[in-house]
Amino acid sequence: MSNRRAIAAATALVLSAAAPAAAQTLTVGLGSEPSALDPHYHNLGPNNAMARHLFDTLILQDERQRLTPGLALSWKPLDDTTWEFKLRPNVKFHDGTAFAASDVAFTLKRAPDVPRSPASFGIYIKPITGVEIVDPLTIRFKTAAPYPLLPNDISTVAIVSQKHGENATTEDYNSCKAAVGTGPYKCVERVAGDRVVMARNDAYWGGAQPWQRVVFKPIKSAPTRVAALLAGDVDLIDDAPTADIERLKKDARLSVVQGVSNRVIYLHLDSDRAESPGIADKQGNPLKANPFKDPKVRKALSKAINRPAIVDRVMEGVAIPAGQLLPDGFFGVSSKLRVEPFDPEGARKLLAEAGYPNGFRVTLATPNDRYINDEKIAQAIAQMLTRIGIETKVDAMPGAVYFGRASKLEFSLMLVGWGSGTGEASSPLKSLLASFDQAKGMGAANRGRYSNPQMDRLLERALATVDDKGREALLQQATEVAIGDLGIVPLHFQVNTWAMKKAVKYDARTDEATLATGIKRAN
Amino acid sequence: MTAIAEPVAARPPAETPLRRFWSEFAANRLALFGLAGFVAVATIALAAPWISPQNPYDLAKIDILDGRLAPGAVGMDGVRFWLGTDDQGRDMLSAIFYGLRISLGVGASSTVLAVTIGGVLGLLAAYAGGRVETLIMRVVDIQLSFPAILIALVLLAVLGQGLGKIVVALVAVQWAYYARTIRGTALVERRKEYIEAAECLALSRNRILFRHLLPNCLPPLIVVATVQVAHAIALEATLSFLGLGLPITEPSLGLLIANGYEYMLSGKYWISFFPGLALLAAIVSINLMADQLRDVLNPRLKA
Repeated sequence: MSNRRAIAAATALVLSAAAPAAAQTLTVGLGSEPSALDPHYHNLGPNNAMARHLFDTLILQDERQRLTPGLALSWKPLDDTTWEFKLRPNVKFHDGTAFAASDVAFTLKRAPDVPRSPASFGIYIKPITGVEIVDPLTIRFKTAAPYPLLPNDISTVAIVSQKHGENATTEDYNSCKAAVGTGPYKCVERVAGDRVVMARNDAYWGGAQPWQRVVFKPIKSAPTRVAALLAGDVDLIDDAPTADIERLKKDARLSVVQGVSNRVIYLHLDSDRAESPGIADKQGNPLKANPFKDPKVRKALSKAINRPAIVDRVMEGVAIPAGQLLPDGFFGVSSKLRVEPFDPEGARKLLAEAGYPNGFRVTLATPNDRYINDEKIAQAIAQMLTRIGIETKVDAMPGAVYFGRASKLEFSLMLVGWGSGTGEASSPLKSLLASFDQAKGMGAANRGRYSNPQMDRLLERALATVDDKGREALLQQATEVAIGDLGIVPLHFQVNTWAMKKAVKYDARTDEATLATGIKRAN
Repeated sequence: MTAIAEPVAARPPAETPLRRFWSEFAANRLALFGLAGFVAVATIALAAPWISPQNPYDLAKIDILDGRLAPGAVGMDGVRFWLGTDDQGRDMLSAIFYGLRISLGVGASSTVLAVTIGGVLGLLAAYAGGRVETLIMRVVDIQLSFPAILIALVLLAVLGQGLGKIVVALVAVQWAYYARTIRGTALVERRKEYIEAAECLALSRNRILFRHLLPNCLPPLIVVATVQVAHAIALEATLSFLGLGLPITEPSLGLLIANGYEYMLSGKYWISFFPGLALLAAIVSINLMADQLRDVLNPRLKA
């Protein structure tokens, strides 16, 4: 008996000793795994969120994507085509080397052209035609035309160290070897599929962080992620599954935070090629013509989709039906565009008018681990399209496979999401709807190869308009043209849900990022 | 087999091998129970398209607005869903019927193919000996040293999705068991006098292999095959659960369970529970049958 008591006492001692140490470690369960720690490899939400711990940007975005000083203290246009940035002094990389303008210049050279990048940062950087280092803490950017969105665009690009980045491959960043930034956390290790571990950067210019160690655990299976939170293995999870939100809200040990994101979930259709790989007639013979080239067919498809039903049944109310690229309140949102009403009769009529009275067959490709309920949305859409005669098969695959194949144009119809990295409409317009042009960095994620010169011109003018009002009007017009053509078919805007132990708190972010820097101790 | 049951009860038993087999098999009540369960499951599987209230694979017939209804609920067009619906509005009862069809179909077809391939190779190894035997049996050894699920996962990752591909993967992981089993039996049998006699008569090699050796090696093969059918069904369900089997719009039992698993924590038990029950019923009834079959066909187990 006394023996047992001694063991109990010893255990209690060990536990109490361990408790403060454990509280120094923050463990976060992520719904999506970043595909790399290389901050320039893949312009993808989870990657960008991860990069913000290790690296800084010249300009930071707060939780509502407003711009705040980062590695740059101030910025201003000198003339129509020149921007000057004053850099923050006394900033050190994790290895102690000083941060200087040369690192910025190096970053801008590296970021747009990382080999094998599935979605590059070119859309944000290519407009910069020249870089001039005035002194170690002053840098100027030259552009060919006026470029008022430069601060927004530059706020998406992580600044890397020239010393470590020269000749470094994506793998060097993944192994933490080259992932030496100025950010609040240092890279400790990355085990693909299991964890990313970071340690506090005590010399961080923005002040030291509350957590000594942060462990990010990708837990793709939603029930497993919830179970990990309930069991106390993780302190916070993102992408809390819609099916469990009610239950999580009721749990006294947990709190739940929700917020509309800037991410639109949409269908991209191959509106360019004469013959498209995933389309066949009802007997299964490849179709000689690509029906999605016809705007009527695209319109029919949009009408066939019951968006409120998807929001209500698949998303359990946690989403907002979409009629354009960004939810209300964002810069560049058009007041003229409405959510397409559900109209299966009208859809059938349009299909018949377009010459497909009996419909056709198509395969809808979808990731199954990237967006909230992605695979289920795709199935619901398959039902709705099948009902108007477009017999739809769903091909679901992990995001890691999906994005590579989508960018190689292997799909005719695909479910995708786009979060505006800059928090305004030019980002989705440039990336999803502008005519594909690698040299200009346009249409980087235009996997349907939609192309409309009128919309390209409007966008080009918008990007060169310094006046905010004028620019917003042009962005609205460009959006109206592109959505009028159904260059993409918007479905809904995501509402993101984070669930956490009562001991920590987090503010919902419109960019969906789960940042350890935003996770504070409650009380 | 049920057809044979009646004459046994009606007339005094005449000693044919089949009747003797049946009376030994029927001596165990659990085995009869298993047989009855298997017949029921097999009937459902075969008749699924005619007895299901809904075609769960026809996307035009299912409606997302009927999604996640509890067992017994009535859908939008007045149809009652006795076992509820899944997240896409699929009638669970119909989905289970169709799921059983896939499970049993995949289990049976992969077993028949694997028995054929494994049986021929094992027989050949035992009869030919030498290098042929070494080659075949080392391949078997190597394959059996990997877990079946691993081989199947790799194969499906390479081949992609689809019913045919699942069968291929299941055949690939199973044939080695049969090859090893039949080789063991054949090694014993081929030293017996009747083979020697056949060889003295200068019968062709094929004739000796398939007309003399094979029939005498069959009983253990049948026993292993019955057990393996159940394994194959479980393996298919596992692969589907992991999302590697069939397309998500045509769910088999494993995929239904996987879909429902997401709703377990929120109390919608029926999406996982009933398909799980159906899978359990199929596998247990086959295993009960297999156990008794083993006892009957293995003379060494008889007192």
